[in-house]
Amino acid sequence: MRPFDPALLRAVPEVRRPLAVLGAVGIAQGATTIATAFALTGVVVALATDAPLGAALGWLVLLFVVRGLLTTIGEYAAARAGADVSTALRRRLLGAWTRAGRATTDDPAARLTLATAGCTSIEPYAARFLPALVAAAVVPAGAVLALLFVDWASALVVVLTLPLLPLFAALIGRTTAEETQRRWRSLADLSGHFLDVVRGLPTLVNYGRAERQLDGIRQVSDRHRLTTVRTLRLAFLSTGALELLATISVAIVAVLCGVRLAHGSMPLDSALLAILLAPEAYWPIRRVGQEFHSAADGATAIAAILGELGELGTIPIDRKPGGAPTCNSPTSSPATNPTTAQLARVAVDAVTYTYPGAAEPVIRDLSLVADAGLTVLTGASGVGKTTVVELIAGLRQPDTGRVTAPRCHLVTQRPFLPTGTLRACLALGNGAGPDAQWAALRQVGLDGFVAALPNGLDTVVGDDGFGLSAGQGARIGLARALLAPETVILLDEPTAHLDDASAELAHSAISLLAQRACVIAITHRHELLDHAQHHVHLTGAALGGRGRGIRPKGGAR
Amino acid sequence: MTGPDLSTGRLTRPLLLAGIIGGLALASGVALTVTSGWLIVKASEMPVILTLMTAIVGVRAFGMARPAFRYWERLRTHDAALADLARRRVQTYAALIPLTPARLGQRGRADLLTGVVDDLDDIVGAQIRVTVPAVSTLVAWGITSAVTTAFDARVGLVVIALGLAVLAISLVAVRVETRGQVELGDARADVTRIADTLTAQAGEIAAIGAGPDLIAELDVRQANWRALVLRQARGRALAAGAILVAVGGAVAIVALLLEGSTRHTPAVNAMLVLAPVAVADALTPLAEAARALARSRGSARRLARVLSQVPAVAEPSGVASPDTGQGLELRGISARWSPERPVALRPLDLDLPPGTHLAVSGPNGCGKSTLLAVLARHLDPEAGTYRVGNDGVGRRDVLSEPLPAARGRIAIVDDTPHVFASTLRENLRFARDDADDTDLIAALEAAGLGTWVTGLPDGLETRLGVGGRGISGGERARLGLARALLSERPVILLDEPVAHLDSATARAVIADLVASSPDRTLVMVSHREDGRDGFARTLRLTG
Repeated sequence: MRPFDPALLRAVPEVRRPLAVLGAVGIAQGATTIATAFALTGVVVALATDAPLGAALGWLVLLFVVRGLLTTIGEYAAARAGADVSTALRRRLLGAWTRAGRATTDDPAARLTLATAGCTSIEPYAARFLPALVAAAVVPAGAVLALLFVDWASALVVVLTLPLLPLFAALIGRTTAEETQRRWRSLADLSGHFLDVVRGLPTLVNYGRAERQLDGIRQVSDRHRLTTVRTLRLAFLSTGALELLATISVAIVAVLCGVRLAHGSMPLDSALLAILLAPEAYWPIRRVGQEFHSAADGATAIAAILGELGELGTIPIDRKPGGAPTCNSPTSSPATNPTTAQLARVAVDAVTYTYPGAAEPVIRDLSLVADAGLTVLTGASGVGKTTVVELIAGLRQPDTGRVTAPRCHLVTQRPFLPTGTLRACLALGNGAGPDAQWAALRQVGLDGFVAALPNGLDTVVGDDGFGLSAGQGARIGLARALLAPETVILLDEPTAHLDDASAELAHSAISLLAQRACVIAITHRHELLDHAQHHVHLTGAALGGRGRGIRPKGGAR
Repeated sequence: MTGPDLSTGRLTRPLLLAGIIGGLALASGVALTVTSGWLIVKASEMPVILTLMTAIVGVRAFGMARPAFRYWERLRTHDAALADLARRRVQTYAALIPLTPARLGQRGRADLLTGVVDDLDDIVGAQIRVTVPAVSTLVAWGITSAVTTAFDARVGLVVIALGLAVLAISLVAVRVETRGQVELGDARADVTRIADTLTAQAGEIAAIGAGPDLIAELDVRQANWRALVLRQARGRALAAGAILVAVGGAVAIVALLLEGSTRHTPAVNAMLVLAPVAVADALTPLAEAARALARSRGSARRLARVLSQVPAVAEPSGVASPDTGQGLELRGISARWSPERPVALRPLDLDLPPGTHLAVSGPNGCGKSTLLAVLARHLDPEAGTYRVGNDGVGRRDVLSEPLPAARGRIAIVDDTPHVFASTLRENLRFARDDADDTDLIAALEAAGLGTWVTGLPDGLETRLGVGGRGISGGERARLGLARALLSERPVILLDEPVAHLDSATARAVIADLVASSPDRTLVMVSHREDGRDGFARTLRLTG
């Protein structure tokens, strides 16, 4: 794992500024730390030689005030960098997933973990580890440089011993790597056990097995304690060794200075400066090591997110609304100038599609064209009707073949109904005003229902609010489709949950919609078929290979 | 029963000892700096080398003592904290059992439980990040104050005053941090909620082109969270800066006190003026401890909110008697989740003779899940009777039966059955201890996992869950069914068992269950129409 991956700056440019501020403050802090050593030396020498304190004390007080200020700015900048980096990555990640639709196969739980806990673990990485990294790069270099001017012999000792720190860390790490690895693995198992049995508690209570876990928890927690302490002994021993190494190095500087002082071959101020500056060369490097364990999760999360963003970046997703149809196919197509008729045209050309992880394609070599008007898609259940409209909508990408379509609005079987007001729910993707919303509700026969709600359009619906039945939800989804600006509207079983009277009203709304847009509807209802201009009947890829009929209905086309 | 221990940063003997050892480590650091200062100034007077000997030994000893004490302190601290964690985990788990599942919320139960684990870690972590550092700082401060006072009472007073100033600054920081914790937690939860919506329903959102709208809402929530984080940081940043300014002030005062004074030798002067600088390293951890304390207090409050709830079922005093039949009968049953909340299930009569297959439908909030909770004895009804037995044979009151007996006849399959980090065998067997491999395979086959299990490299020995083999949503739902079938309980309640599956898989899962349950009573709550086909009876609740 790399301590810092510059790819982050390229992929997410909005984090450059907070990180640059962090770096600048770090450099200023390093400079004032070194300056403080000079001022402090001045004060001590003045007291030791009975000279007046004068300017030295003024400088020292000023430097402490400046350092206090810089620390305040630094802490604040660190918190801001942590918040900025984590929010920027979360936004990118969620935006990319939403645009990709169903094109990725990851399980939603793992995704959510990356978007929440993953992004959260980036906060300490940016807020604590990165400042430590800046300090480690700046302060030792500055201290050595200052020492070079003050006393080259001390500088030489520091330059020679400083590399021993990372070298020793690497050596200790290598000799104990296997042992540590083994311990961390068993540690992860042990510490995961409690989380596992807690999350499984509802299941255990179901089968009356919860109380039996108490002994297990006690035993595993005790084993966890013993293993952790053994692991930590090794870890603390190596940090202790590094601290000792740094102390010995400083002691060498001190001894050299002491001997020369006692011989009168070195002035007091140089010696004092040397022993005040020397430790500054070592501790920032040790601090990086200490902060690293809290940063490892964050660095891993950043790598995972950048990988995910890179992968999703290859999926062609952005389509223009009702404008130039774009193609999403493995083979590129020549750019064409769309004619008006093409604005509401869907063309599926020899498309084959396999579900991620499946052996056999669900759709094989499918071709169809749909123009303005209503096209009804039928077929036995499991034949892949939903998959076809998802391919048209660009939520899935075909293995081979080509889908040509403008941006589509797809009403899924369970339309997206966020927790919030009905007004906000209806405005999603279209931004329509209340008049248009009421008109759409009237068309699907929900105006009376909504008007009777305590707060009308401002009633909160969804998970924590007013319950909607499946049929009401479906009609809200349909009303939102009527408001959609897209020229291609796809409907997946729009009236499956409705009684006959409501379905009839919905069907008229759909035919009205088909007068301005290309509407493709999946349905089991024959009534909707009566309104259709085209009818496509799918037979399974597994059943009949290419055997699927496309029948223009009622002489249309 | 006494509740679990939720105190943060409590001082116990092992922690006190660890803190004192840590204090000695910090004091060694202070001593190292001041003795070095003395040594250098003394050496510059070119004395006989013997007069430096004590100081040289001292520097060497302090240099070695600091890492040694620190190592010892850290080991002791972690050992004590982990022992405490083990104790509190058992207590917390025991306290959670009676609250499960009714008091853990309908949605986001897994998140709530993960939060409990994290909060407990935070509470115990305060011992490592607050209690021990605070004690160590006090010890090092006390030693430094005493030693400097011995040399010069005025300098001693300055060191004491510096400590008090840092303490005051830290206490203010704790107040500032604690004040915003709840709001910050809520803001973070808002971000998580919308992140959850965006990930769980990415397809549905992309389908209607609502991505930009929701990302805009995410931006608003994140900006709100960020503003609160920065408000918290402001207090912390000011405290950290103020501590440095206080140190600068202390050094200046000591320097002015010593200027022109002939009371001490030059070497002692150097030592005394370095003391406030050196002790600053021991005092600054207080600001960080303040932050950790505020955080763990927030965790303790959250955990207390969960654990202080009253269980939804009171333990009945009756005795179990042998079953005389598995028909269930509800008469005038109504329920609410807690006294202050509205009625969740209106009075209902329901007969479930053995072998009934009943699908329950209706809008959100009509009482579907409440009905299942009452049937499963996870929630006490407010009124009405609940009896078990067959027609013609004596029916017995379920509500006065001991809970294990009442719950023992019912298996529940919800939308997210937990997969334990263990073998497939262990993931099934807790549903019935005496099941052998033949029973396990039979249950898996009945749940439609026959082909899946033969395809597994290690069969029943395959490790599942965290760190094991990944499992798809459909396989997970079927694993939940296999457990229920294996348990051979006569009644299975299904709460949105296929909510996360696509339509074709959902139908297949439910069809397999119905086919393998001719004599079993099935009650299924589902939002979706697909898969209800096999259910002979439908109950529509209107709320």
